[in-house]
Amino acid sequence: VTTALAADCARCHDCGLLCRLPSHSAHSGRCPRCGAEVHERKPRSLERTWAWLIAAALCYLPANLLPIMKVTSLGRAQADTIMSGVVYLLLHGMWPLAGVVFVASVFVPLLKLAILFGLLVSVHRGSPWRPVDRTRLYRITEAIGRWSMVDIFVVTILVALVHLGNLATVEAQTGAVFFGAVVVLTMLAAESFDPRLIWDRSEARTP
Amino acid sequence: MTETPDDLDVAEAVVSTRRRPSIVWLIPLVAAIVGAFVAWRTFSERGPQVEITFESAEGLEAGKTAIKYKDVEVGLVEEIHLADDLSAVRCKARMVKSFAPYLNEGTRFWVVRARVAGGQVTGLGTIFSGSYIGVDPIRDGARVREFVGLETPPVVTTDQPGKHFELHSHRAGSVDVGTPVYFKKIQVGEVVASELDASGEFVRIRVFVHAPHDARVSPGTRFWNASGVHVSVGARGVEVGLESIASLLIGGIAFDTPAMDGGAPAADGALFTLYESEAATRREVYMQKAHYVAYFDQSVRGLVPGAPVEFRGIQIGEVRDVKLEFRPETGEFLIPVLIEIEPERIRNLGMVDPATRRDGLDQLVKRGLRAQLQSGNLLTGQLVVQLDFHQGAKPAQIVWGEPYPELPTVPAPLEEITGSVQRLVKRLETLPLKEVVTSMNEALQAARDALAQGQRTLATASALVGPDSPANSELRRALVEMSDAARSVGLAADQIQQQPDSLLFGKEGEQ
Repeated sequence: VTTALAADCARCHDCGLLCRLPSHSAHSGRCPRCGAEVHERKPRSLERTWAWLIAAALCYLPANLLPIMKVTSLGRAQADTIMSGVVYLLLHGMWPLAGVVFVASVFVPLLKLAILFGLLVSVHRGSPWRPVDRTRLYRITEAIGRWSMVDIFVVTILVALVHLGNLATVEAQTGAVFFGAVVVLTMLAAESFDPRLIWDRSEARTP
Repeated sequence: MTETPDDLDVAEAVVSTRRRPSIVWLIPLVAAIVGAFVAWRTFSERGPQVEITFESAEGLEAGKTAIKYKDVEVGLVEEIHLADDLSAVRCKARMVKSFAPYLNEGTRFWVVRARVAGGQVTGLGTIFSGSYIGVDPIRDGARVREFVGLETPPVVTTDQPGKHFELHSHRAGSVDVGTPVYFKKIQVGEVVASELDASGEFVRIRVFVHAPHDARVSPGTRFWNASGVHVSVGARGVEVGLESIASLLIGGIAFDTPAMDGGAPAADGALFTLYESEAATRREVYMQKAHYVAYFDQSVRGLVPGAPVEFRGIQIGEVRDVKLEFRPETGEFLIPVLIEIEPERIRNLGMVDPATRRDGLDQLVKRGLRAQLQSGNLLTGQLVVQLDFHQGAKPAQIVWGEPYPELPTVPAPLEEITGSVQRLVKRLETLPLKEVVTSMNEALQAARDALAQGQRTLATASALVGPDSPANSELRRALVEMSDAARSVGLAADQIQQQPDSLLFGKEGEQ
């Protein structure tokens, strides 16, 4: 199979024009039609993905250890972390809700981190292992990224709505900031990863 | 000149493939720094863990019950478990770091619940919000991390301005923790503690008087028990007095300062006597008692326990006990008399404090202070112990022995009188009594002669006035004549009564 890379060609990300890159050593140029930057592969894709991924992993710990929300009700304050909220819901018999919160807030971010880490390692090793499945994993990661923000949405809505003075008040805590950072950073990591790298290595070995 | 460089055989420059790391690495770096900062802050803000023991965990919940000071959260109960012997509940609580310097020996913890005590309802807010643990921090003292929680909230916390005073009373009456203290029928304080003294002789009551009323308490202030109603029947009818309705139910203590005894405000922790009633404040009651023993070596007949001990005629104490003691080593009998002196009876003595009393008393004995037996009542023969300065007394010292210090004594004046009578008798013995008696006999003989002479004179006199003497018959005749005269006077009187005009006009029959 002839790839664009092998033919010294690159496709513009913006307008889709296939254009030839002037020399073999040059990795980027400008699209003659729309002026967007054209490069064979996303520049420094692996390095950037690693950076975003490490930042996300660093934020994941405080996001789960620190309280994300403080509920003050009748003079009695209670700060909850994500896990303590899940435990609270479980103890009160609301296990479907507990399941949703657990999957969306704990399991999915962790899954995304794990998938991206796995993809990066496999690309570094040039592994030919199931490139189609790996590409599908990447697509899933990119698709579910924004849905992890459920927790943040709940906190923001509660903070805005529950302003009942002494009866009840809800405040956001530091954990929420870190949690939001995890979601955003994993999305950036997924964005900066170039799935074509999965195929480059496997294509290079098969011929 | 048109040759391309490709056609020339020239050396190719080495292109460096080393690149600077991407700027995107700043992101994980920032994340790491922020994460590390948050972790450091979380750990550095972690305060000390304390363990508080309560009798029951009613209303306490691990992970939820807060520890509050002035309604500011300063800690959180993390764990609640039973003591090994099941006698109590131990709460482990994490305090905030800034509160660590206040967790010292005197710091008190208690559970704030809704409760009705001392005529007041407190902690109503906890009905909805749940109980919390209150704390009364103390800045000074040894660092302690294990506390025993109070079962009832303290009446007064250390941050309230005011003063503590200690009252001594013979009985607690209806005084209990939380009992109000009144000044001019306005509540100005509370009873903080009430306990029996170690000696078992009196009750110590600690009261707290809030600022600015604490300045009303001066060393001369009298405290009295204002519980209940006083009813007095007097010339103006029946008078009923009570401090307040609340004090009728829960008791109360009132205080006032007599105009004469005012002065600078009393110091914190000053000691006062709690009187039974307002009327009793005018009678003196003395709490301070000092015991001394005085050895007398003469009869103490008439000296009984309860006899007054006087100083220049003013009672300053009483006799507690009289005993008889034999000293085998010297073979003498001694009578130890135990006396009780109430130093408060003497104004400005400055010996109320036992520590300074010793020096002061030594000084007084040096100046001649002695105990002496004196007759209190000449008719009943009762004795009193008199203390006074005897300038001429032999130098003596107070013997600070156990159990009681010994006061030096001087002999009683009675004894002195007996001594001088004896001296008088001795002098009488030396007089020439025999000569006196003989001369007295002679005098008697002369008197007897004089008497016989007198008798003779009397006989002559009786012969002169005897029944047959002429003087006697003369006298009888004179008497008869006198009675005749009297009768005629009587007739004349009758005449005048019947006819008063006869005086002027003569008898009617004659006209």
